[in-house]
Amino acid sequence: MNRDSLLAQIGWVCAALGLALFLTILVAWPAGAPPFETIYVLFKGGVSSMSKIGRVLAGWVPLTLCAVGLLVPFTARLWNIGVEGQVIMGAIFCTAALRPYDEGGALQIALAIGAAMLGGALWALLAGCLRVFGRVHEIFSGLGLNFVALGVTLWLIFGPWKRPGVASMSGTQPLDMSLWLPRLGKLSVSWVGLALAIAATIFVYILLYRTKWGLKMRAVGENPKAATLFSLGPRRRLLQAFMICGALAGLAGATQVLGVYHRLLPAISSNYGYTALLVGMMASFRLPLVPFICLFFAILNVGSIQLPLQLGLDSSLSGVIQGVMVLSLFIVQGLRLWLRQRKEAD
Amino acid sequence: MIVLNDIHKHYGRVRANDGISLTLEPGRIYALVGENGAGKSTLMRVLAGHTRPTSGTLEIGGETISHLTPTLAREKGVGMLYQDPLDFPAMPVWENFQLGAPKRSKQEVVDVIGELSYRLDACFLPDEPVSSLTVGERQLLELLRLLDLGATTLILDEPTTGITPEQKQDLFDLLMKLAREEGHTIILVTHKLSEAFEMADSIFIMRQGALVATLEPPYDEKELVHLMFGDAADGEVEALPELPPKDVTPRLTMRDTLFAGPKYSMGDLNFTARPGECIGLAGLDGSGQELFLRGLCGLDRMPGGGFDLDSATYRSNDFATLRKAGVQFVPADRLQMALFPALNLMEHITLAFPDKKGDLTDFYQSQCVDGFNLRAHPDTQANELSGGNQQRLLLSLIPNDTKLLLMEHPTRGLDAGSARQVWNHLKSRCAKGSTLIFFSPDLDEVLEHSHRVIVFYDRAIAAVVEGDDISMEVVGALMAGKSMEDIKENNS
Amino acid sequence: METFGLTLAAILVAGSPLVLATLGETLTEKAGIINLSLDGSILLSAMAAFVVSVTFDNPWIGLLAGMAVGAAIAGVLGIIGIYLGQSQLAVGFILTLLCRDLAYFLGHNYSRQPGPDLGLWSIPGIGDVPLIGPIFGSQSPVVYLGLVAIFVCWWWMYRTEGGMRLRAVGESPRAAFGRGIRVRLVRLYYCLAGGALIGMAGAAYSLAVKPGWGRPQGCEGAGWIALAIVIFGGWHPVRAALGAFFFAGLQVSGIYLQEVFPSIPAPVFQVAPFPMMILTLLAVNLGRMGWMQDIVRRHPFLKTFSKGWSIEAPAALGQDFDPKKGL
Repeated sequence: MNRDSLLAQIGWVCAALGLALFLTILVAWPAGAPPFETIYVLFKGGVSSMSKIGRVLAGWVPLTLCAVGLLVPFTARLWNIGVEGQVIMGAIFCTAALRPYDEGGALQIALAIGAAMLGGALWALLAGCLRVFGRVHEIFSGLGLNFVALGVTLWLIFGPWKRPGVASMSGTQPLDMSLWLPRLGKLSVSWVGLALAIAATIFVYILLYRTKWGLKMRAVGENPKAATLFSLGPRRRLLQAFMICGALAGLAGATQVLGVYHRLLPAISSNYGYTALLVGMMASFRLPLVPFICLFFAILNVGSIQLPLQLGLDSSLSGVIQGVMVLSLFIVQGLRLWLRQRKEAD
Repeated sequence: MIVLNDIHKHYGRVRANDGISLTLEPGRIYALVGENGAGKSTLMRVLAGHTRPTSGTLEIGGETISHLTPTLAREKGVGMLYQDPLDFPAMPVWENFQLGAPKRSKQEVVDVIGELSYRLDACFLPDEPVSSLTVGERQLLELLRLLDLGATTLILDEPTTGITPEQKQDLFDLLMKLAREEGHTIILVTHKLSEAFEMADSIFIMRQGALVATLEPPYDEKELVHLMFGDAADGEVEALPELPPKDVTPRLTMRDTLFAGPKYSMGDLNFTARPGECIGLAGLDGSGQELFLRGLCGLDRMPGGGFDLDSATYRSNDFATLRKAGVQFVPADRLQMALFPALNLMEHITLAFPDKKGDLTDFYQSQCVDGFNLRAHPDTQANELSGGNQQRLLLSLIPNDTKLLLMEHPTRGLDAGSARQVWNHLKSRCAKGSTLIFFSPDLDEVLEHSHRVIVFYDRAIAAVVEGDDISMEVVGALMAGKSMEDIKENNS
Repeated sequence: METFGLTLAAILVAGSPLVLATLGETLTEKAGIINLSLDGSILLSAMAAFVVSVTFDNPWIGLLAGMAVGAAIAGVLGIIGIYLGQSQLAVGFILTLLCRDLAYFLGHNYSRQPGPDLGLWSIPGIGDVPLIGPIFGSQSPVVYLGLVAIFVCWWWMYRTEGGMRLRAVGESPRAAFGRGIRVRLVRLYYCLAGGALIGMAGAAYSLAVKPGWGRPQGCEGAGWIALAIVIFGGWHPVRAALGAFFFAGLQVSGIYLQEVFPSIPAPVFQVAPFPMMILTLLAVNLGRMGWMQDIVRRHPFLKTFSKGWSIEAPAALGQDFDPKKGL
């Protein structure tokens, strides 16, 4: 893969983008969407004003937290599909930690953030134990627990935590403003959230590539059987990988509760977990690319809100484009592989 | 008649077959000899249609073709029997037999199997899964299948590994019959010269991808060895080191030990080993020797009994504890089980010696390059190393003060020179006091390098032999299930 | 008796799409390919089936459209996974998310619209027969499709030469190649066939079990349950189908239990299939755990029990095979 010249690699990336564009137009056409106008509305909806950029950044924070978190289990060749549920669990723990407080400050917020990370880590640990001790593939345990977390959220919102007099999909009692994360100027994103996302990225980078812990995790991912022979304790490390990812996902849940919605709602995770998996796949799990792809996906997400209003289209189009982009990447990768094999055979 | 013309097969820069031409005539038995890595299996896979040559042609039955496919090969009557039979373990015998053959009903297949079994004095139950058969039976089934498909050219790739000497004799008798009476062409791929001498009308010798000679009887062993190994043939293997006196504290004492693996368990194991002993394990696949090794190091469970290591008693076999206590396990499958393919040598050293801090370049130099002759840049990835270098790497990762070294097939896939170096190294470890327990499917290797041999049969220790009893006749018979008394009776 | 019959009838209807999806995935996985796009595939084919049946005012054409969409998605997975050498799990996962979003995007205008459904078939005379009457007297055609599919899959897999080749390819592609079988083509073929059954399942949802299209669609999450049932069923069509009906039974009884225990919140019943899924997968692995094996060894009479309990996946499940590399 690295043997191709830089020019050839850029060429392949352009091919992937071109394919993505073509496929997007192809699938959007049956819906009667004028292709170029649709793309214009999408991007304009994401970057055309400062307030929109603020929303983009607010979406970038949880997405980046989840995506860099996913790099850790992926180093051990694990698919932490349960990341969506871990975000939700983090949000639940965060809300739970603040229930006793009508108002507060930095201390309560820090407490809530800690609780969220704990919640996410524990939920991930559950999926990890099912995998390591129960040999239940993390796809099933992760997904199952995602749905369970959603169920717990619904139960809480319509049950014990329902707003007095009203039980609705709009969530629990909103938090007092003193418990909100401080904003960045007039933008709707919190500088605390941004700082946390950047710190998490740096933390994961150092952890995976600059420490012995990271080397051992890579070894476990390369060959778990050999890792046992080297007394690396692969099972313990797999659980650690799950927990670190869960903690970062829980942190993302906290930013959603404290910085964006200021309460718990059913859609608190906004699909960020699943989208983060797409980001990871698109970046081929290379850390430097992750924050940029997250930004791109966040622009698409915010921009797609304009689609129903301006063009009468469903906002799922952003998800479609994201999926098409990653798929195109895989197709192009596959074609490269196929061509290289044909060359070698001759 | 089959002619191979200038066959080349390249894998990237590796030239597995470098311009080989040979002729095969019907009714003759050929041996294709060469050490591991010489390219014999590759060449035969070209002939069987399982691989396409990079260039060259094949002439079969008067027709010249550039390559074969499995279907074409079958039509031309060529069939290949792999060392590890290429069958479907989870599927029943009759389906294994029928797959790939022209359409028949189940009853017809059962009848054919019955008839062939009768002629060859074998017994196959059509509905039993193939996984319940021994390796020798699976081989025989494959052979029957190839004959049923009309194979007139039979290629057997290392067929005698993992079968008893008795089964081997039956196989060879059958091959003789097929060649002499039915006019089939038989090609025996082997690295064992004794088999070649015994059977072959003609011996092809391959070395490093090329056909270096074709010999006719009478065979001169010295000449053959020299052609096979080149200059490396003149290496000497060290003798077994002397054992310490009997009153020294035993290294290993097993008391009524019970080991349980994923497929079966094995109990009432009692055995004692001294420091510096080389102990070989012999037995057919699945007889218990793998579980024995894996249980001693802690990879498989020990639900009952216990064992002593020097003076310390162990009632449970936790892998990490035992490893710290000086028990090391080296699996046969290096890249799949013991190394990290995409990690480089320096990273392996870092992981294997966690107590050493800081820059390990000097340590790498002294441990790997000087100590084990591993001449490779520290940045090389494990999957880029040759088989011999992989084994050198593995051995260099074992601490020098290992008390009990457990090895599954120390020289698997190695050329003769590397294999010799490995054994010299292992013997020097024993001379310094380590105890070695190893298994090899190659009975000659077990017999040559052991002070004592534990023979396994049917998931139990059949006997422990030493001294003059360490011979092919005794050990082979024990492996096949005969008792010691019967063997002694037969001999006297 | 009457209620019992009606309950069984409800289980049959609720379970048939799940049975179809499970059978389709069983075929695909038996050949060695994992089609993780199952959940999204069901949604997209459900939408396509509904839209086409509305457009042509004929639910049967809609059914065919659903099958075509299911096969097409599986075909994309097949080509990228089998011929272009990319990870089946990764591509399948991308497709499941993509198809889900695509279904909601393209189905936007058809949300909450009325449309034709497959109706009910009555077998004359049976309606009055006790026990069978309530079940088959007037039943949705998808039930019959499901039952026929179970039989056809079983018969094909275990009683035909083609089925033998299917199993061979999933067990050992190298050995199959050595027997002259075109491994990749066979795998692609069963990918498509499995996809068609999955598409039929999606159509069964939007044209029979829960007619119509909306957001969120009722069958969300069913695909993941089906994937688990394939494992639970030991990759055997009849066993897997029984597993699917068992799950459907749980869901139907969940509806009744909800009425009996109104204090237990609704979400508990909605998400109940998923912890059940995890528990069944745990149970399936029970036989492999060390402590369990110790117990069986100490009580040999449990051996017969554990034999039926254990399952073996197709040995080459999820593994790549490239005939150009030869053997």
